[in-house]
Amino acid sequence: MHYDLIIIGMGLSGLMAAKTAAGDGGKVLIVGKGMGCLTLFSNTIDVLGKVPETTRLRDGLSQWIQDHPEHPYSKAGLTGIEEGLSSFTSLFHPPYSFQTIGDGNCIIPTGAGTMRPTYLIPETMVAGASDKEKKGLVVGFKGFRDFYAGYVAGPLNWRGITLPLPEPPGQEISAAALSRWMEKEPFRKTIGQEIKKNLRGETYVGFPAILGINDPIKVKMDLEEKIGVGVFEIPTLPPSIPGMRIFNRFKEWLIGKGVNFISGYSISKASLKGKRCEGVYIHHPPVSSFYSADRFILATGRFIGGGLVAGRERISDSIFNLPVSQPGPQEEWVGKSFFDEHPIHRMGILTDSSLRPIDETGEPILENVRVAGTILSGHHCLDEKSREGIEIATGYWAAQWGSKYK
Amino acid sequence: MKLQTEVLIIGGGATGAGILRDLSLRGIPSLLIEKGDFLSGASGRNHGLFHSGGRYVVSDPEAARECIAENRILRKIAPHCIEETDGLFVSLPEDGLDFRNRFIQACEETPLPARLLSREEALSLEPGLNPDLLSAVKVPDGAIDPFELVLANAKDAAAHGARCLLHTEITSLLVDGDRVKTVLAKDLTHGEEYLIEASYIINATGAWADQLLKLAGLRIAMALSKGSMLITNQRLTHRVINRCRPPSDGDIIVPNHTVSILGTTSVRLEDAENFEVTPREVSLLIRETSRMLPAIEETRFIRAYAGIRPLFQSGEKGDDRAISRGFVLIDHEKRDGIKNLITITGGKLVTFRLMAEKASDLLCRKMGIEVSCATHLNTLPSAENPSGLKDRLKTLGKVDTLCDCELVRREEVEEVLREGKLKNLQDILHRTRLAKGTCQGGFCVYRLLGMLNELGLTEGNPNKILKGFLEERWKGIRPVLWGSALKEEELIEGIYKGIFNL
Repeated sequence: MHYDLIIIGMGLSGLMAAKTAAGDGGKVLIVGKGMGCLTLFSNTIDVLGKVPETTRLRDGLSQWIQDHPEHPYSKAGLTGIEEGLSSFTSLFHPPYSFQTIGDGNCIIPTGAGTMRPTYLIPETMVAGASDKEKKGLVVGFKGFRDFYAGYVAGPLNWRGITLPLPEPPGQEISAAALSRWMEKEPFRKTIGQEIKKNLRGETYVGFPAILGINDPIKVKMDLEEKIGVGVFEIPTLPPSIPGMRIFNRFKEWLIGKGVNFISGYSISKASLKGKRCEGVYIHHPPVSSFYSADRFILATGRFIGGGLVAGRERISDSIFNLPVSQPGPQEEWVGKSFFDEHPIHRMGILTDSSLRPIDETGEPILENVRVAGTILSGHHCLDEKSREGIEIATGYWAAQWGSKYK
Repeated sequence: MKLQTEVLIIGGGATGAGILRDLSLRGIPSLLIEKGDFLSGASGRNHGLFHSGGRYVVSDPEAARECIAENRILRKIAPHCIEETDGLFVSLPEDGLDFRNRFIQACEETPLPARLLSREEALSLEPGLNPDLLSAVKVPDGAIDPFELVLANAKDAAAHGARCLLHTEITSLLVDGDRVKTVLAKDLTHGEEYLIEASYIINATGAWADQLLKLAGLRIAMALSKGSMLITNQRLTHRVINRCRPPSDGDIIVPNHTVSILGTTSVRLEDAENFEVTPREVSLLIRETSRMLPAIEETRFIRAYAGIRPLFQSGEKGDDRAISRGFVLIDHEKRDGIKNLITITGGKLVTFRLMAEKASDLLCRKMGIEVSCATHLNTLPSAENPSGLKDRLKTLGKVDTLCDCELVRREEVEEVLREGKLKNLQDILHRTRLAKGTCQGGFCVYRLLGMLNELGLTEGNPNKILKGFLEERWKGIRPVLWGSALKEEELIEGIYKGIFNL
């Protein structure tokens, strides 16, 4: 089977690349082992959490690009970032839209009772972010191990209650299970009544981010009606239900545009000829199938996603064996404190400004391959709080560049 | 606050807890003081080998004899703490057969039950062994859970009227003439100070023995030898695997519950408090143990840790492995003219009971009373925690589980909390298998803190405790961060630095 573009990796950067390419009318295949970090960490869209809330994010980004010429943002450029972000938001129509609070970062409560900066948040989190002085009631569920109302409420000076489930669940009380139950009206009715009884003048109620997978706005509005006050979601331990919503929306849209999905399988080998990639072998045990394309985007993520593999001495790229910046001997990979900025997280695939992989001398290695997402070198997405921004901007930019020069 | 006791035992390792139990069974009132939790020193930081004595049979026959005798007693009194796995002493081509022949002869002389296995027999028992091996000798080694063992001793002692103060540090030993007259101690959690009057004092502080004696103006010559170990993510063998050669680095693999522990190294240290596993030790352990079990090269590690062997020096300096692993019992009346002070240090986990017996016998002689030891006759109370893996698996999905790696149930932790006297997070982790599995507490410690919060047991901001835990956890994980362990770490960082913005 021959494609215009094959995207390797089904996380946010791969999906953004697919959206960009499919929007151009290309014939696109996206292959991925899983959903990347979307369903682990991506509750909201971080762009550059380091920028203070009082600064316009646009100004913060311009400064950042000036100061960090090797950063993926400098490759996508301010325009690339902004176009990417607006392409992302255009996918999420109201009522479940992604929005900013003002023109900078906002801060939202987390499952550890801390506040964290982020940029774009889904409608279901807006009420938690807009006003720090509000009086909130945090609701948890007995037996749900990944969220503790009192733990969250304490440091925020809110109040927490833990509700028993209306009936014995008969299965593990996971985020996914709670999300499904939340989509059932009788469930909402019982807990809604219980919460209403427990209100002590609070004007907002915060839930773990489990307000349904398919129609969170319906769940939110119905709960608000039943309880009588505003309702919002608080991100907690993985899996991320808001991340699943993002994935599902992309998938629905991309399939509508004729993009082919192959999920659950990995690339076993790439076929290279000179400075070009001809195709990839996808391993469906016990056989491998060959897929060829004019262009390829590598968006396989870092260590969790399997894009980068760390041996005891070196880090390598799992598919094309592209040059990866190296962090020195293993004892220098990470700092002495867990909270240090660990050098290893800055390592990744070297590219030129068009996200084409290059060697140490700056020579392009594969002419028809672009690299997108966190596998790129030169960022520290965890400490910068820039994960989703990098994925969106570089996914968008990698697909843009490719199609222009097709 | 003023406290009075007949005997004050200092140190809550296996030796101290053993003495506490021994004295309580003899009807002698005693109080144990420990500056951390039980097993904060070497007792909690070893490879959990239940020695047959095989490791000393050539170099130190006396220690080997003690080991095999105690091995037999512990099988009877503490069956729930021991897994009877057997052990193999494997000879590789580069080891030759000279040492093996001396080993077999020494086993006969000790005597220590040993059986020579052919290469084929050894490989059929442990198919993962290096196929180039020449032969193996089977001995009654096993795995022991030091936590269960020491806590069961303390529990039995408490049932017989003994008292303990944990997280309490001795600050002075006041000597008046030929006696230690009073002892001052301080509760490290609440700051309360104690003035203790004890007729007798037993120093069972292991690596800290010399440091404690300094408070009384005394010194003993001790060598501190760091031994580092690596924990694998899964159990690699059924049996303990030893290298059949003179004791050296990286010559043992001990199975322990669901994991294996690779050991050890021997590095001389000056300070018993601040030490870490070095990259050199990690490479050395992997290189040496993978000679016996080649799969180790590719295996995933979950943690590195180190313990301090307190080795008593008879005078000469030299190879620490040549210093006796036997124990030392010092009557400070004979040595320094202090009538009511005894020091016991050195030794091995498996000989802790014997050490306690000898120390208690000496004490009785000094007190002029005649009561015999009963610790080898009475079975230890079986602790409730170690319902085996099978029982844990049965409850999967039916009860609240805090930890998926080790299947620790919420009710099990609540039970530990009900027993009380726990002062910090590490105390809870010591008494359960929380944070001992693959993710090393990456998920379950947050859950534990959430649960403690629900029960109203946390004071202040739990994130302070969480951050402290993450730092402590980091020390063990840092040396083994590559491959899958690095993936896991990216996830944990993503949660705590990312989602929670700690």
